[in-house]
Amino acid sequence: MLAGCGGGNNAPAENAKNVEKPAESNQTATEAPAEPVTLRIAWWGGDTRHSYTQQVIDMYEAANPNVTIEPEYASFDDYWKKLAPQAAANRLPDIVQMDISYINQYGSNGQLEDMTPYLNKQIQVGDVNENVLATGKIGDKQFGVPLGVNVLGFQYDPALLKKAGVDSIPENWTWDQYKEIAMKAKAAGLFMDGSMAADVFFNYYLRTKGLALYNNEGTALGYEDDALFSDFFGMLSGLIADGAVPTQDKLSQNKGVIEESEIVKGTGVGVWQWSNQYVALQIAVNRPMELAQMPGPDMQKGLYMEPSMYWSITSNSKAKEEAAKFVDFWTNNAEANKLIKGERGVPISSKIKESVSTVLTDSGKQVFKFVADMEPVTSPMSPPVGSPEVVALLTDLAEQMNFGQIKPDTAAAQFRKEANSILANR
Amino acid sequence: MLGQHLKRNLTGYAFISPFIIGFLCFTLVPMVISLYLSFTKYNLFSPPRWVGMDNYIKMFSNDPKYLQSLKVTLLYVFIGVPMRLTFALFVAMILNTKSRMVGAYRTIYYLPSIIGGSVAVSIMWRNIFSDTGIINGLIGFFGLGPVSWFGNPSAALVMLISLSVWQFGSSMLIFLAGLKNIPSEMYEAASVDGASFFRKFFKITMPLLSSVILFNLVMQTISAFMTFVPAYIISKGEGGPMDGTLLYSLYLFRQAFMFNNMGYASAMAWVMLLLVGIMTGILFKTSKSWVFYESGGK
Repeated sequence: MLAGCGGGNNAPAENAKNVEKPAESNQTATEAPAEPVTLRIAWWGGDTRHSYTQQVIDMYEAANPNVTIEPEYASFDDYWKKLAPQAAANRLPDIVQMDISYINQYGSNGQLEDMTPYLNKQIQVGDVNENVLATGKIGDKQFGVPLGVNVLGFQYDPALLKKAGVDSIPENWTWDQYKEIAMKAKAAGLFMDGSMAADVFFNYYLRTKGLALYNNEGTALGYEDDALFSDFFGMLSGLIADGAVPTQDKLSQNKGVIEESEIVKGTGVGVWQWSNQYVALQIAVNRPMELAQMPGPDMQKGLYMEPSMYWSITSNSKAKEEAAKFVDFWTNNAEANKLIKGERGVPISSKIKESVSTVLTDSGKQVFKFVADMEPVTSPMSPPVGSPEVVALLTDLAEQMNFGQIKPDTAAAQFRKEANSILANR
Repeated sequence: MLGQHLKRNLTGYAFISPFIIGFLCFTLVPMVISLYLSFTKYNLFSPPRWVGMDNYIKMFSNDPKYLQSLKVTLLYVFIGVPMRLTFALFVAMILNTKSRMVGAYRTIYYLPSIIGGSVAVSIMWRNIFSDTGIINGLIGFFGLGPVSWFGNPSAALVMLISLSVWQFGSSMLIFLAGLKNIPSEMYEAASVDGASFFRKFFKITMPLLSSVILFNLVMQTISAFMTFVPAYIISKGEGGPMDGTLLYSLYLFRQAFMFNNMGYASAMAWVMLLLVGIMTGILFKTSKSWVFYESGGK
């Protein structure tokens, strides 16, 4: 049953390949299906992810008896510590899970294979939205195929919003409306939210103005006007000063501890975060919740489908086509995706999205619907040429502004100076 | 002649070869490479590029975070180590009394040091000092606080130092051994002469224990300079809030493994080596005036 499924998916790819390359007899000979292949594959994640990924791998091996897959997995931090030396030694696994903040670094340093030649041959992408696929593209090279996508939004408790005297989040709301509602929440003795992750949301804000955090080459910041910085972070730290958002004291203390967030305790209306984080939050909150879109103006220009992560094939892989077939299995196999259940973000293939939605929880369905609603209004995005160092710098400055130790204007200038020096010296 | 000499010693060399090979492969060669890298810019992807003294110059002239990490570490060492040793000596003196349960007490007091460096304890410490944790409950009982231990940069460092003081066990055991070595006749003689407790402590205990104190001071200073795990866990790898717990080794780790600045991190490591060397040197130099050796120091 499972074997039939996998075979059915791979068959068109095999045919297409044979038609395409009849002359390259050498290559077709090495591609004989009986040839035993070993693929190393690496990803990061927690226990749930490790166990279902292993199940998917078992399923793939059952369908392709000639393929042996050796998994390597770790937590997010450890993963990059392992991958960097492997890259330096040209010993990367065949398939690696990539993150948006690293794909450019690995891609532009020649560690990743351009996957364009495999598209619609080994990897079927007919059911994937162009904008979504393009998030794995740097220039004209496809360095990764997204495993799933997320969209930014406001995840909130509608009952608490009512308590603040607001019936619902207005459609196409603006930053001004956001501030108004936040002050109403404050008046009702509630916090509006737990502030916004500095790099992610500032980038969104810049995109609504047609700009971005980094320039295309990643050699400098992508905006000229420091007033944008002071406007945005002035608003965030202003809401803290006004008491509509908890103080930085509290924020630092609760960081990353979902159970201690205000919304779980029933004292905060909502949280700004990625759609894939909704299901876990819903479980912790255990009250009816909703998702709302980002504030505007020009929400459409700012919003993009964020690849939760990618599968990338490495340049030093000796079995790139076999690796590509596994990526296809992940993207297009319905049975495999029923195990995955959108844990790595909403699947990118529209067909798979439909078939998986039958096995989802209610909150999972809410996320799929939210992402589906947002998909038509999002704009294209390619992975930024950023630097974790710049993100750390921005996070630091945001913290200092929230503590009231530095003025947004001063921070804007300091950020420009230091970030540009980091980016120019890479 | 030489051949015979070598032959005779061959067995010896064979026996110590595991150490020699291990030392060469895992200590000496990496150290030499790291010294070389400290003069380069190296991100693991592109080959190292020679930049001369740039890394060292940047550290002291153009990296406020580096100076901050140096400041935090010095505070941590200069406050933490004396407190820890004082506490260790205090407990050692209590445990040096003749009591029936003394074996059990020693075990109990030593326990924190065995598990002290672990991730689990750091997480426990995080919980003890959380908003609703036992510490805030305690000071709340006296009508104070709550103190936001993770929100306030200096409070977070206090928390980190308290964790280090709590792990006093190993220095305590060494003190205990030292105390056992002081002949009880000396105290008896002093008692006969009518010396008070404090007089006995400063005129007998301290001088006779001074070499042990020096040993503990050196060892604890070195290990305090290299503290990493608690700061990493408690601040979730960021050294926050506001870099208040950004210990030297944590910043070095961030430069090396989060920002991939391997060259800069290597340079930081060498400056650290130099610093620890100077500190130890000062301790040994000054020790001549306060450490008392029965054998006359020779």
